[in-house]
Amino acid sequence: MRETIIIDPVTRIEGHLSVKIDVEHGKVKKAESAGTMFRGFELISKGRDPRDMIHMMQRVCGVCPVPQGIVAALALESAAQIIVPLNAKIIRNLVQACNFIDSNVLHFYLLTLPDYVPGPQHAPWTPAWNVDMRGGLDLVSSHLPQALTVRRHAHEMGALFAGRMPNGNFLVPGGVTSLLSAERIDRFRAMLDMIKHFVHGTYVPDVRIVADAYPNYFHIGRGPANFLSFGAFEQPDGKKLFQSGMVKRTNPSKVVQLQPDKITEAVTHSFYEGTAPQRPENGQTIAVNPRDKEKAYSWLKAPRYSGYPMETGPLARMWISGSYRNGISVMDRHLARAIETLRLVEAMELWLDLLVPGLPVYEQSYSTPIEACGIGLTEAPRGALGHWLDIANGKVNNYQVITPTCWNLSPKDNCGINGPLEQAIVGAEIRDSKQPIEVMRIVHSFDPCLACAVH
Amino acid sequence: MRITRRDFLRCCLASAVALGLEASTIGLLKKALASGVDLPIIWLNASACTGCTVSLANLSVTSKGTGEHDHSLTTSAAVSGPADIADLLLNTIHLAYNTTLMGAAGELAVQTLHHHTAGKFILIVEGGIPTLFDGQTCILWSENGREVTALEAIRRLAPKAQHVISVGSCSSFGGYPGAEPNPTGIKSVEVVSGVKTINIAGCPPHPDWIVGVISQLLVGQMPALDAYGRPTAYFGANIHHNCPRKHNPWASSFGLQEDDCLNDLGCKGRQTNSTCPTLKWNGGTNWCVGAGGICIGCTSPGFPDNRSPLFSSIGATPPDMHPVVEERCTSCHASNPCAEAGMEVEVTH
Repeated sequence: MRETIIIDPVTRIEGHLSVKIDVEHGKVKKAESAGTMFRGFELISKGRDPRDMIHMMQRVCGVCPVPQGIVAALALESAAQIIVPLNAKIIRNLVQACNFIDSNVLHFYLLTLPDYVPGPQHAPWTPAWNVDMRGGLDLVSSHLPQALTVRRHAHEMGALFAGRMPNGNFLVPGGVTSLLSAERIDRFRAMLDMIKHFVHGTYVPDVRIVADAYPNYFHIGRGPANFLSFGAFEQPDGKKLFQSGMVKRTNPSKVVQLQPDKITEAVTHSFYEGTAPQRPENGQTIAVNPRDKEKAYSWLKAPRYSGYPMETGPLARMWISGSYRNGISVMDRHLARAIETLRLVEAMELWLDLLVPGLPVYEQSYSTPIEACGIGLTEAPRGALGHWLDIANGKVNNYQVITPTCWNLSPKDNCGINGPLEQAIVGAEIRDSKQPIEVMRIVHSFDPCLACAVH
Repeated sequence: MRITRRDFLRCCLASAVALGLEASTIGLLKKALASGVDLPIIWLNASACTGCTVSLANLSVTSKGTGEHDHSLTTSAAVSGPADIADLLLNTIHLAYNTTLMGAAGELAVQTLHHHTAGKFILIVEGGIPTLFDGQTCILWSENGREVTALEAIRRLAPKAQHVISVGSCSSFGGYPGAEPNPTGIKSVEVVSGVKTINIAGCPPHPDWIVGVISQLLVGQMPALDAYGRPTAYFGANIHHNCPRKHNPWASSFGLQEDDCLNDLGCKGRQTNSTCPTLKWNGGTNWCVGAGGICIGCTSPGFPDNRSPLFSSIGATPPDMHPVVEERCTSCHASNPCAEAGMEVEVTH
């Protein structure tokens, strides 16, 4: 017997997601993930002052505005062909890392944990599905208030340089606006010590405890097993803490050098006009009425690398940088996210030592070119983030954004190949079709952000 | 750790005192300590980015006014454990529906919504309401195999709610998604529903503004609102007027002098009202101008179009909006308007 189940809304994620699955004899045969909200940021960008993109693009996503702002700055700086001072790079790294810590801790304790252990017995945690709860995780769930405090402190730490979080105004093309003082650096370091203590002593162990209680989730939610990372957190030697690269399922131990010109976006199953897949620098965003495009089911486009769907995010980053290669599954994603957080807090301590009060934080020679193209690539908490900018007559002529969740939750492409989340869900066993918790667990392992994905 | 409603109201009281709210509000809060009002809150995310929710999660007992702890009030709340008001809020107000945080999903979530909206409730909306394609660019849930748009949901629920709060500039006025050419036909909650909303502007709004309004409503008091529906307690004061840099020389470049006025670099503090300079952000840690960044006017109706280009001190004024009134400020000699001259300095919308 075959049954179709629609989960709409999928909750405890950022934004608007609907997942439709066909289940036969208790197993998922077919899965479609649909992003159901479109705002048109790429269209709103046209004709604006290119510098404004730094502020505008932060509004794509309230959960990861820092990488959105930084990558817009990188696109502008690549168009203007300038290099920002070391102090500015380090300050950007630190604030971006604060965004990662906040996002990763929040994701585990607030968005993921209720899939494995019942939350507090009142709204908004109740009512909730009650299926496959294995118990023995009370210690982990008791850390929720502490986790909320830590993620708040991560934002407060970032605000020392960013002014405020989310949506700080410290980014400018050419660097940052925040001047350094020994006092600010000391305050940052004191908060970082406290956060490091939590990540090391509580967050990472908690993820391991949950993983141990649900060992079968090391075999669920594999997906396409292709990884992509744009790399992020440039160090003084020019190398990145998390390196860029691509890994294909056919040769999982080989990291191939990233070639951004292999990226295309298909719209065959998306609510946009268009035929052949486009490279982002030529990309267009022409919305069609969902009722007028029968084949389409999502507002996400379908980005592909050399035609392949790619998983991006903490597991891709840790795999490519060689820090974690245990496997590809729901629990591997959570563990990679925790391990990456630990690597970040350790790196942040070293970055603080590199800051030199008195040296520049801003390259004054920046000026927006009249005609130029720019590209910005970095990593957001959820994975590879790219902005492609075309300036004409000193204004934005075209702006295309490809976000991590657009890779991970993409619909089918022009060849009918499913996106990574869809592939990860297919084959999962559903024990209770009224409470398909398995689907929620797989979805949450990708930490989706739909506002980003569609923008 | 379960924090009681009583604890929460005590904290609201602390917040009200620090924010300088009227004595009558404080009196009401005191009275409410003994009462048992428990209005469920339905929080809908329309064309949003969840930045308002994230900002709300930054709520902190240290973020009241000066950034200093007020132990006499807050610790008396008998908050054992972390003095984190985000925890307090999430544990205490009855947040019945919020897709970012709630345990339920799919049908169970929709049933929860229907259950609570059958009675009395407060509706909070984050994100603007798209009208293109009959609202098909924003689907909030499916019921009986049918997709429900934000447009339909707001029109259905707003008239039934005890109060409707637009959290953030998008639901209040349109915000960035509603900026030219407004590709999805974004309108404010008030415009699509015809229901008067309390507009907690900001991109994002400060957590204290959100909780301040909720706490007042819970004790039966309506906050005083300005012409744009914004609570005057938070949007009555001009940013430049309260800016510590207002008498300082004007900066010619970013990243040079710690305390220079950023007017020439595009700061919109003169044309923008909010308590940012005094309240500050993230537990009183800092604020945009404090980090040497310009105010981009994110609490203003018409943001971002009537504040763009953001890095320009002139500011383009779209043809359908009236220009900012030009008047010289007697205090800081600015040619742009300044509230020190005692005027509301918003553009007409």
